[in-house]
Amino acid sequence: MLTAATNIAYPSWLNSGDNTWQLVSATLVGLMSLPGLAVLYGGLVRKKWIVNTMLMTFSAFSLTLIVWMLWGYNMAFGPLSHFGATGSFWSGFIGHFEPLATSSSEQGQAVSGANTLVPFHFPTATLAYFQFVFAAITPILFLGALVGRLKFKAWLLIVPLWITMVYCVNAALLWGGGFFAQKGAVDYSGGYVIHLSAGVAAFVGAWMVGPRRWQDRENAFPSNLMMVAVGAGILWLGWNGFNGGDPFYAGADAAAAVLNTNVATAAGLLTWIFWDMFLSKQKKPTFLGAINGMICGLVAITPSAGWVNGVGAICVGVIASSIVWIAWTYISKLRPFSLVDDALGVVYTHGFAGLTGGLLVGILADPSMVEYGVKGKNFKGPGNIHVAGWFYGHSFHQLWEQCLAAVWIICWTAFGTFIVFTVVKFLVGGLRESDDVLREGDIAIHEEEAFPEPTFGEPMQTPSHVHSDNV
Amino acid sequence: MKLVTAVVKPFKLDEVKVAVKEVGVTGLTVSQVKGSGHTGGHVEVFRGKEYVFDFVDKIQIEIICTDEVVDQLIDAIVNAARTDTVGDGMAWVTDVEHVVRIRTNERGPEAL
Repeated sequence: MLTAATNIAYPSWLNSGDNTWQLVSATLVGLMSLPGLAVLYGGLVRKKWIVNTMLMTFSAFSLTLIVWMLWGYNMAFGPLSHFGATGSFWSGFIGHFEPLATSSSEQGQAVSGANTLVPFHFPTATLAYFQFVFAAITPILFLGALVGRLKFKAWLLIVPLWITMVYCVNAALLWGGGFFAQKGAVDYSGGYVIHLSAGVAAFVGAWMVGPRRWQDRENAFPSNLMMVAVGAGILWLGWNGFNGGDPFYAGADAAAAVLNTNVATAAGLLTWIFWDMFLSKQKKPTFLGAINGMICGLVAITPSAGWVNGVGAICVGVIASSIVWIAWTYISKLRPFSLVDDALGVVYTHGFAGLTGGLLVGILADPSMVEYGVKGKNFKGPGNIHVAGWFYGHSFHQLWEQCLAAVWIICWTAFGTFIVFTVVKFLVGGLRESDDVLREGDIAIHEEEAFPEPTFGEPMQTPSHVHSDNV
Repeated sequence: MKLVTAVVKPFKLDEVKVAVKEVGVTGLTVSQVKGSGHTGGHVEVFRGKEYVFDFVDKIQIEIICTDEVVDQLIDAIVNAARTDTVGDGMAWVTDVEHVVRIRTNERGPEAL
């Protein structure tokens, strides 16, 4: 009887180790948004914006999950729609607009959309949830550029529309077995689909919403550096699920991706501290600078986590952190960057770092680093599954594919974000709150504040005189 | 010597600071205070329960100056802190008997 029961819990295709690691990874990635980014961003904004920022974060997470269940997952990761001839761009553009509605769409075996990989050893619900937390973190990342003036009502529409129009398309093209995946461009766990895309959306979105009040830009001091430490720590360790979960097998490649992720991050953090100490105007190491460097390392190793070796991972961290440090310090003062008020600098730490990491795959990927798993019948990419960058393959082929995919992500995200923000602006009558509301912040918008203290004293009467049943 | 105390809206602090400096007065002390006056409070809601915030955030500025500049100083503060809306605050003047600058042990007006 025990054997029979075991069979029911574990069908022959299900591996409990894979399923466990996949669910743990997904939860770790979810923690990066809630509470990770909620407290990281809450700590980086002024005290008067903490409630608004946290509420937008939690709302985006919820909105994305509803969209994901109703149509998002199948558009991004379900079978492709094939609008055009097989192999053409339009055949690998997007999946079907349909919900995860049946028992088999949760408990059945997970398969990758275009049959690029053999079916996984865990159920579809695991894969759908794992892919959801990645989708959810993307709008939350570009929220960092928009805080401090965006209308809450506008945000509630931006998230579902942006996920549908931008994220699902990019994910289908690069991960769902779509056109760029078939061409051979790779994105291990979201340097392009998540971070480059979030950076571009941050830039276009911040341009469309307009800058914060000039007074708020002048006084943009962070509310709480300890909360920044909490959020940043959750991001770093949560990234073990981000990159460690993307092989979809709890094997040696998952372990390598986790180790590479951490060493690149350490290198990125130290590199930023180094530049701050020796090249910045103040010549002093700063905590918030170190956190920027940490995020650069995390973001840049994301597209290559399981395809570079340890030395490659350190190089990724050092190079990305240096490039973003230069962009943050110098390029931010040049047009068009100086004209757009990206409140928390998302276009640098996610856009520039994601692009750098994605291109470095084409240079540093070590073909002897193997991602396990058997390729499916439609997989035309650099199969079985390893990637050779220029250093090892002595060919620019992979770098070229990475460039093409980056150009696509930048153009489509910019276009899609522009359309989404334009539509929302029309629907809710403007994307920003009035200046009077912006001066007050949380209290004017939510009638809540982060540290309420209505009085120093105590009430003079018990409420029992109002309600006789009160004691 | 006079002590000028002014209670103003928090976002007016920087303007008052600049105006005071233009009069030629160098020292001022600032505290975050809460007050209730004609403004009335506001309501915040936490977990469905309403809380009346009767006391509004204000900034209290204290300045010691010589008798000669006190009128000029008051004018500067009023012009800088006024928004022509309820809750612009108040300023008042009191006599100061004695002043000591701790570092130099100077006494009286020289200490200012």
